[in-house]
Amino acid sequence: MKSEKLKGNLDMLLLAVLAAGPGHGYSIITRLRDRSSGAFDLPEGTVYPALHRLETAGLLDSDWDVFAGRRRRLYRLTPAGEEHLAGEAREWRAFSGSVSLVLGN
Amino acid sequence: MTDQAEAGGPVEDYLDRLLLSLSGPPSYVRHTLAEVEAHLHDAVADELAAGRTQADAEQVAVARIGAVHAVTGRTPLFSRPSAAVVRRTALAGSLIGGVALVAYAVSAAISWALSVVRGGEFVAAPFPPGSYTAADCARWLAGDPSTHDCVTAMTRDHIGDIVLQGVATGFLGLVALFAFWLMRQRWQDRGTLTALPVGSAEAVGAILALMVAAVAAGTAVDLETVQRGVGVGQPIAIALAALCAAAFFGLRLYRSVRTTRRIAPA
Repeated sequence: MKSEKLKGNLDMLLLAVLAAGPGHGYSIITRLRDRSSGAFDLPEGTVYPALHRLETAGLLDSDWDVFAGRRRRLYRLTPAGEEHLAGEAREWRAFSGSVSLVLGN
Repeated sequence: MTDQAEAGGPVEDYLDRLLLSLSGPPSYVRHTLAEVEAHLHDAVADELAAGRTQADAEQVAVARIGAVHAVTGRTPLFSRPSAAVVRRTALAGSLIGGVALVAYAVSAAISWALSVVRGGEFVAAPFPPGSYTAADCARWLAGDPSTHDCVTAMTRDHIGDIVLQGVATGFLGLVALFAFWLMRQRWQDRGTLTALPVGSAEAVGAILALMVAAVAAGTAVDLETVQRGVGVGQPIAIALAALCAAAFFGLRLYRSVRTTRRIAPA
């Protein structure tokens, strides 16, 4: 997948991953890669500016947790984030359906 | 599995560079650094579990996370070099500088030897008549009581200057090479040793030395043609010493490339 296409939709994808449950940076990028069967394999560091931006926008919140002896910042979706994701997903499905219609089988 | 990054290794080096690149409120800097450190340790643990060595696991983890500016979200206009790059550059600079200074001292010794064998004017061209005063002559003659000829005293004075410069640069060169040796003993970590491509210092040194040799040889040919050999000895000496330096760097380059090939995995 072209990285520009991926970056354009990264916020929505991160919100979708976190809709399944809270996670820290490494687990989020791992889940994103696994759920896309390896198609979304972007430089892992790019997830952090996006997570910080989503938190500043109030779509995520975070707190620090200790796991396996190491402090980790755990992100979770806020109600505003859930609402935003639902809207983005609706728009994406409509867009994707329209593109599929144009492309045909 | 280990929870500690290799001291001076890729993970530590990456975190150092990230720390230098982060800006903003202190809490943001602390939190981002802690997040990325945890991320890298998780990635290293996964790679170790997959059977990699600690060093390879760290290299892969750093490659996977991407450039530092991917984490900061800003492409830097000017990024500070990492400590490893600074250390490796200091090693390269002290080696090249030390060898260059010692080579100049060697050229001064060759110049002196040529002046003994072929005469002073072969190495040091005298000033043209009228360009120096009687007081200059008196000073040169006072410095060399064994002669009563002003031109001979002048050329001997010039050769004395060349030898003096050679001794001074030779001393500085030895100091630089000693500093190189000390730093080489102290900075044995993989991060420093791999901060620049293998043999880059030797390649730069060899190229510079060959350039100096070419320019000096060209000057010698020019002096031979225009001044019929007067003063040609010094550029010949410099060209010879530069060729020796180029051979030294070339040998080191060959050895380091051969060693790298031998230890590289098939």
